[in-house]
Amino acid sequence: MPPAAPRSGEAIFASVERVNAELFTLTYGAIVRQLLTDLEEVDEVNKQLDQMGYNIGIRLIDEFLAKSNVSRCVDFKETAEMIAKVGFKMFLGVTASVMNWDADGTCCSILLEDNPLVDFVELPDTCQGLYYCNILSGVIRGALEMVAMKTEVTWIRDMLRGDDAYELQVKLLKQVPEEYPYKDDE
Amino acid sequence: MIGAGKIKQYANILEKPLGKGKQEVSLSAFAFLFSELVQYNQTQVDNISELETRLEDAGYAVGARVLELLCHREKGNRRETRLLGILSFVHSTVWKVLFGKVADSLEKGTEHEDEYMISEKELLVNKFISIPKDMGTFHCGAFVAGIVRGVLDNAGFPAVVTAHFVPVEGQQRPRTTILIKFAEEVLQREARLG
Amino acid sequence: MAAIYSLYIINKSGGLIFYKDYGSKGRMDTNDSLRVASLWHSMHAISQQLSPTTGCTGIELLEADTFDLHCFQSLTGTKFFVVCEPGTQNMEALLKVVYELYTDYVLKNPFYEMEMPIRCELFDINLTQAIQKDRVALLGR
Repeated sequence: MPPAAPRSGEAIFASVERVNAELFTLTYGAIVRQLLTDLEEVDEVNKQLDQMGYNIGIRLIDEFLAKSNVSRCVDFKETAEMIAKVGFKMFLGVTASVMNWDADGTCCSILLEDNPLVDFVELPDTCQGLYYCNILSGVIRGALEMVAMKTEVTWIRDMLRGDDAYELQVKLLKQVPEEYPYKDDE
Repeated sequence: MIGAGKIKQYANILEKPLGKGKQEVSLSAFAFLFSELVQYNQTQVDNISELETRLEDAGYAVGARVLELLCHREKGNRRETRLLGILSFVHSTVWKVLFGKVADSLEKGTEHEDEYMISEKELLVNKFISIPKDMGTFHCGAFVAGIVRGVLDNAGFPAVVTAHFVPVEGQQRPRTTILIKFAEEVLQREARLG
Repeated sequence: MAAIYSLYIINKSGGLIFYKDYGSKGRMDTNDSLRVASLWHSMHAISQQLSPTTGCTGIELLEADTFDLHCFQSLTGTKFFVVCEPGTQNMEALLKVVYELYTDYVLKNPFYEMEMPIRCELFDINLTQAIQKDRVALLGR
């Protein structure tokens, strides 16, 4: 059986079950609020959001692979394009673009053209250090780790903090070889 | 041009027009987020009833906001002041917006005057969730119960709201009932209003 | 009618996380199924090394005189394999369906711990339906 052709983010999003984005937005808001109450420190909340995103990423990657029919990406460039064009679209219904590649092709920016997490949101004075959308960076990091790519994902621009866009920097730290050695003692 | 996203920037969020609520995300995105909400809260509690309480609190925060949002958008800044009105608002308007459908049924409790039940064959939040046997009667619908309580409470109808599995004859899976028990003051007020 | 004998899911370290027996012949006890899973994990890895060219993803189909074994490995390293009567059709499609059910009813379940044995009622229910559907060959699109 020939492998099924990869599907576009639009086609997948159109074919999957969807929910009102407001339910998603408000539920995410409730999570952030719980963390602020539980952890008190904004830095701790940033860390926890990233961790929660990571936990989601290591699970969500399989759905991405199952629904998109994507086979192994040739390189990190293709991977980044997949995240932006297929990943963001099929899960959040938004488009993202990849830009600002560095010379050796291991670091780029993903720019969100829309961001359903932040509807209704304004950071109060007490939360100015909060990376409200930090869950997204965790998701990307977790998902890529499951396909053998160690990355570092950080926010470069955040409109809630007064910037003019939502920009994530994704940096490839290490690509674990796919054929890891099978030894008796492992 | 680099960096110019499509999102328009507003100096003040209040200037941003309120969305029409037509935007969607995949059910999967919500399911993964909800699953993580449950997992995080599991790390914060000692027992199942605390877990339910925390999920309910999270839901309450959603409900309070949903009430405001929908009263403004769907009802021209008016809200229901009568018991049956607010119940039908929850069962129809709130359910439709949040879960994409009207709830399967709204019934008055047969044994107690102050109890009402909203039932659903399969609650959206439960779609992918199997409760382990050792968790007894635990129900992730506590989150939805919290949403309902948040709507009711902020509309001036304080109530105790809980989620339960109810076995259905001939069905493999139980349905869910959201049980609403109104505070005494609510019923007294209703009686006065006649 | 072609029969499915059993279905296995093994995690990326070779641990058996799901096993279901559908035939009465050759039913295995827990120890045997764990051992077979771990052996298959190794054989699959060895098969990659046997490949004369790089990029081999391992055995996809093993044909024996009394059974076929179809294996699908996700890019994340989880293996799904089905043991069936020789010549049973549409097993690749079935494994794809099982993979999707796994992403829905296992990975979205907050009470499932990654890499651990799968005990999810909804996964069982939906899997049973998928296998039945397969028996009436609905997957042969």
